Amino acid sequence: MRVLIVEDHVKMAALIQRGLRKEAMAVDVTANGEDALWMAAATEYDAIILDVMLPGLDGFAVCRQLREKGVWAPILMLTARDAVRDRVAGLDSGADDYLIKPFSYAELLARLRALVRRGPVERPAELHVGDLRLDPAGRKVWRGESEIALSPKEFSLLETFMRRPGEVLSRFQLLEHAWDYEYENRSNVVDSYIRLLRRKVDQPFGVSSLETVRGAGYRLREDGGR
Amino acid sequence: MAVVLCATGLFLYLRLESELNQSINSDLESRAHQLVGEVRVEESGLGEAARSLLMRRPEEFAQVLTRSGEKFDPRQRTGRPALPRADVRRAREDQITVDLPGFRRRDDPERLLAHPFRFENHHLIAVVGASLDNRDEALSNLLTLLLIGGPVALLLASLAAYWTVGAALRPVEAMRRRAAEVSASESQQRLPVPPARDELHRLGETLNQMLDRLETALQRERAFVDDASHELRTPLAAHKAELELALRYGSSSEELRVAIASAIEEADRLSQLAEALLVIARSDKGKLIVNLEPVEVGDLFATMRDRLSARAERDGRSLVFDDASPRAIEADRLRVEQALGNLVENALRHGAGTVRIWSRATDGRVELHVSDEGQGFPPEFLPHAFERFRRADTARSGDGTGLGLAIVKAIARAHGGRATARNTNGGGADVWIELAVASRQPGPARAGGRH
Repeated sequence: MRVLIVEDHVKMAALIQRGLRKEAMAVDVTANGEDALWMAAATEYDAIILDVMLPGLDGFAVCRQLREKGVWAPILMLTARDAVRDRVAGLDSGADDYLIKPFSYAELLARLRALVRRGPVERPAELHVGDLRLDPAGRKVWRGESEIALSPKEFSLLETFMRRPGEVLSRFQLLEHAWDYEYENRSNVVDSYIRLLRRKVDQPFGVSSLETVRGAGYRLREDGGR
Repeated sequence: MAVVLCATGLFLYLRLESELNQSINSDLESRAHQLVGEVRVEESGLGEAARSLLMRRPEEFAQVLTRSGEKFDPRQRTGRPALPRADVRRAREDQITVDLPGFRRRDDPERLLAHPFRFENHHLIAVVGASLDNRDEALSNLLTLLLIGGPVALLLASLAAYWTVGAALRPVEAMRRRAAEVSASESQQRLPVPPARDELHRLGETLNQMLDRLETALQRERAFVDDASHELRTPLAAHKAELELALRYGSSSEELRVAIASAIEEADRLSQLAEALLVIARSDKGKLIVNLEPVEVGDLFATMRDRLSARAERDGRSLVFDDASPRAIEADRLRVEQALGNLVENALRHGAGTVRIWSRATDGRVELHVSDEGQGFPPEFLPHAFERFRRADTARSGDGTGLGLAIVKAIARAHGGRATARNTNGGGADVWIELAVASRQPGPARAGGRH
């Protein structure tokens, strides 16, 4: 297993490197964010341990840029900053986990292993389908430059589609993902909401991204309608 | 207020009484004189006119008596002699007034005025009387009014006063209530200030300003505690990781030995950090104690040389001491050594070339400089150089606590001096502290100071 440690505290980095090597991992170390970016682009790491307080580019920026570059290696953020907003920022910037110093080395190992099990699945923080852009954390949707205002249920439905672009989704599947047990018991609730979505997401822009597939369900075009 | 009302009532009563009495008396006097005049008009006895006067107004009483109190001219039809015997004697000499409780009618008090006069060769006394009934009735009415009205007025005034004062003090209660809520955790609250531009308003404003100042101080302290605990986390994490690794992987005792030695180093660094934090915290509270005594600068420099030259040599650098204007300074020797030590440490770690430690005297003050020949401070960092936890490059690859310069500043301030930093013209940094010249002579020089 190949791991990259991005930590500017030399002694700390050396310690973790030593420990992980004892666990039969191959470990690289760098002390700044810029180096981390090209190293992660050049090598396919199985996991990246990323400190938040770095000189120059901070950990949040490094994480965001790695994801933008299409680096999907699991990222474990390490930091002394324990304020909730820092943890939220870290996770929302694309990290998979967040450990606060001082941490237990055993826990670091366990979390690292858990992350590696998940594998480098492409899992962007923001969803893009064609010119449709959805930000789950900020609960906003754009088509191109224009922001679209959606109700919570409409948003939930669109998100379900955007996580499976090009797939045909039956009404049942849509109900399963966008509604919970307490849904309004109307048989055509899905149809109504598709109508609403089309009116907001497609019609004002003169496109047709939500397609009806007779007898099967609905589908969001992979090109997002354009 | 009750006292005032009583006094006013009493005053009113007495005045009225006095006015009424005066009016009655002057009426009596004028009637007496009138009587005397009428009597004298006739030549003998009481003339017709006088008699008719005596008759004319039956409500008013008039008599003429002899010196012995008998009626002069028994034909007066005015009843028996009015003046009591006892008073007749007095009336012979002087005009007197006598109050009789019930004279012509029972329960009808009268006042008699007896005026002695001479008529032909008789010594006579003219006696006139008037009823005191009206006067008494007026006074009694007033008394009733006062006795009823007084307490009522008192009650109303008290209620009005109570209500007014209550209204005036309501803002005070509001302020008091809010003040009770203000605490370290609720430090944002401010007291409600009444809009009127009076003493209460000013008090409220001043108290709120005081709260502002306290909050600023509180925030500074909180920020410091946050920073401090934050700064401790990374070294602690390293320390902990070191020990965990040793426990987990330390197979040979040699490996354990190495790990333990490293852990000790880390622990030392942590305790240095804690020490530095303590200095800063104390100086924040103004409690950094310095024991000032006169210290020879040359002596000080000698100690520094002993302490630091070996270290400098190891780093391949040289230390040059230059005590150009030998003066004694008023200083806490250990603290100044600590400050200079920090500066030399910085110069060795972040600077380059020869490190010069030199002194300069300016009027009444001595500056102790530490300069080097390296790159100097980054210009954007220079204004923030003495802030705690500020490092010129944000990486923590060095061993510093980030508090070195902050401590130097704290020590300078505790001495009543300043710490300044600049970049020299030839490149390189120059940091100095400014201390006071000693007024006394220092004691004998110590050969090699304590560390």
